[in-house]
Amino acid sequence: MSDHEELESSVAAWVLGALDGDEAETVRSHAEGCPTCREVAAGLRRVVGALPLGVNEVGPPARLRERVLAAAVASRESPALPPAARAVIPRPKVPRPTSLARVGRRMPAYTAAAVALIALLTGIVIGDVAFHAPQSPPASQVARFTLAGHQEMAGAQATVIDLKRDGLVLVDFRGLPPPGSGRVYEVWLIPAKGNPVPAAVFVPDSNGAKVVLVNQSLDGYTVMAVTNEAGPDGSQAPTQQPQLYGNVT
Amino acid sequence: MNVWNRAASFDAHRGSLRAWLLTSVRNRCIDYLRGRGGRERQERELQPEVAYALSPADPWRDVALSLERTAVRDAMASLPAEQRQVIELAYFGGYTHAEIADMARVPLGTVKGRMRLALEKMGSYLRGRGLVDV
Repeated sequence: MSDHEELESSVAAWVLGALDGDEAETVRSHAEGCPTCREVAAGLRRVVGALPLGVNEVGPPARLRERVLAAAVASRESPALPPAARAVIPRPKVPRPTSLARVGRRMPAYTAAAVALIALLTGIVIGDVAFHAPQSPPASQVARFTLAGHQEMAGAQATVIDLKRDGLVLVDFRGLPPPGSGRVYEVWLIPAKGNPVPAAVFVPDSNGAKVVLVNQSLDGYTVMAVTNEAGPDGSQAPTQQPQLYGNVT
Repeated sequence: MNVWNRAASFDAHRGSLRAWLLTSVRNRCIDYLRGRGGRERQERELQPEVAYALSPADPWRDVALSLERTAVRDAMASLPAEQRQVIELAYFGGYTHAEIADMARVPLGTVKGRMRLALEKMGSYLRGRGLVDV
């Protein structure tokens, strides 16, 4: 594989922000002088730009606006600021209804601040609720287990990735049947002695797949199991025998 | 303020302003999370007031956002599970391709290929829906 082919194969990872610093710089430097890679990156970057739009939007708390305005006032005299930043910051406005394809060309600068706040909080939600990004855990701190389906869930399985250092667990479910209207799947952690502890609730996608974050350590638990419970919040105790389970020790 | 101060780096030829804003903020969030210890991240919770509605009810805006959100989610759902996984772990999880390859136990080249295929398929899907200019 030529250098170009090697670097072009990394362009998608680059625009996703999934390369380490040195690798990212290498690809960026190459793309600057390579029309092919530059074009590929531009196309993929537009898709990546759409990804956060799939996340539920949350509104910023009022105090955040005050903090941003206070920061703007504090930095107003800074010579490093671009002209736009030295302008008086008007009250952020909520963008009018518009299609995504046009919003970028029509959005006035002051609405950018409001959107940035929304996006900031959305990002925090993504980071803190949906996923947690660890700092390159060594392989020894990552354990894998498998959950197997039985009876009506015989075709289902799950891979459990235990990020020990972060106290987080990712569970990659495959082949799940639809839980049924108003029903959800609930993940349980079961200690050697004691009652099952509810760990997560989810609904798989149309392919029966889902990656679920369990926001706690597996320490002290011996089995992970899944039951079908009433939605949207599941149950505090399982109402049926699990048909998808496996050891996590 | 960082986004505001970097306004001059926005290039309209490289994508929409909204995409630039969201990408900038996402990158800041990932940098922030990568710079914190796992236990520290565990302890952070959203304040209740974050759940407040963005603004007084605006049905048109809600519909527009809902269509966009649905399009992106459908595009994600249309991907094979292994391709969707690499996008979720890389973009939303902040994992590097090397970390993903390690977790999924597949070669690095496979992860790169899945990322490329996933983004190309999503682009094709979103273009077909006509809601996203990609």
